[in-house]
Amino acid sequence: MNRRNVRCALSALLAVAMAAPSLLAQGPDPLAKLDTASRRMVQSLIDSARAEGLPTQPVISKAQEGVSKHVSGPVIARVVRTVFLSLRQARATLGSGANRDELTAGAAALQAGIPAAALIDLRHAGRGKSITVPLVVLADLVTRGVPRDTASRAILQLWQGGAGDADLLGLPRAVEQDIVSGAAPGDALLNRARTIPIRLPPAKVPE
Amino acid sequence: MTESNQDPYVEWIAAEARRPVQLAADARVRIMDAVRATPLPARPRRGSRWLTAPRTLALSPLASAVLAAGLVGIGVLVGISTTSRDGRQQAEQPTAVAANAQLPVHDSLQVHRFELRDPLASNVSLVGDFNEWSASATPMERTADGKWTVTVHLPPGRHVYAFIVDGAKGSTWMPDPAALRAPDDGYGAPNSVVLVGQGSAT
Repeated sequence: MNRRNVRCALSALLAVAMAAPSLLAQGPDPLAKLDTASRRMVQSLIDSARAEGLPTQPVISKAQEGVSKHVSGPVIARVVRTVFLSLRQARATLGSGANRDELTAGAAALQAGIPAAALIDLRHAGRGKSITVPLVVLADLVTRGVPRDTASRAILQLWQGGAGDADLLGLPRAVEQDIVSGAAPGDALLNRARTIPIRLPPAKVPE
Repeated sequence: MTESNQDPYVEWIAAEARRPVQLAADARVRIMDAVRATPLPARPRRGSRWLTAPRTLALSPLASAVLAAGLVGIGVLVGISTTSRDGRQQAEQPTAVAANAQLPVHDSLQVHRFELRDPLASNVSLVGDFNEWSASATPMERTADGKWTVTVHLPPGRHVYAFIVDGAKGSTWMPDPAALRAPDDGYGAPNSVVLVGQGSAT
């Protein structure tokens, strides 16, 4: 073995030795526990999300969640597909300028049954602000039993009226307290929404 | 140019140049003394010469394989230690910062404390999209008053999570009762939502 070959071999070995920690740090494949068909389906959904410029992390995370919950492969593939389609619909609804959090919150809201028109109204009323908080709160309220239309209208009115993130984030817990006390979920939301001071933007003074 | 038309001044210079130089009798001795007094330039030491001198390295196939295995083994050991340290670091935050719901750590990560009151649980762990939903990655610690807490570093944004509670009924997934809820995702167990860096530690 001449000197050049020895150098090449040592360089290759050093490269392998240096790459080993980073390769190991990636950990085992989280989808390895899926059956072949489900794994292929999930992988194709991840690839599709990447190709369409959608965030892939929520898709991967949903598959990981299913594996951790010991859900069967076909169910995981179906749920991951629902997440992917919801993300796609959220992007189509909110526009290409929507950030990752808005997309994931919008996808969750759509999965909760909130109509796409409600998302569009929030976007238009947002005056350029991120609508992640109203979307998350809206999905939460529907999950607690507030009728979708009631929740959509109330959150839109508060958002249009200039309610802040803290105002909105405080709503679910207050509504939950009223529901536990016996109030109907829709009534609980409307009553609590009335207590939030509306800060409308100042009107323009004609010159 | 002939001898007859040379300048006398030039002729004088030429004569001076041809005249042999008379050195003092001890000049040679003094020059040699000065040479001996000048220190020699530093030569590389034997060790450094051994390290820097080119040489041919001959290895048998067996020795090459042993060397390769050794280098890869070192890499694997370093990788294992790095991986296990990363897997634990979220759960090993100092309790001093756990008193705050959110504290800025640096430009991107924020400290967030998760808390669940369940005095009857024997073990509680935190799972979420920030730890690949690994049941073993983020165990929670029990406090004297029956709370289970853990502090983790999270990037800003929307995160989905849940608790795994080991109790009398076995292992149960449950949402955070004090947090925002995520809609049912089809797996049958609801999750919670935390918005990091958006004005609330909800």
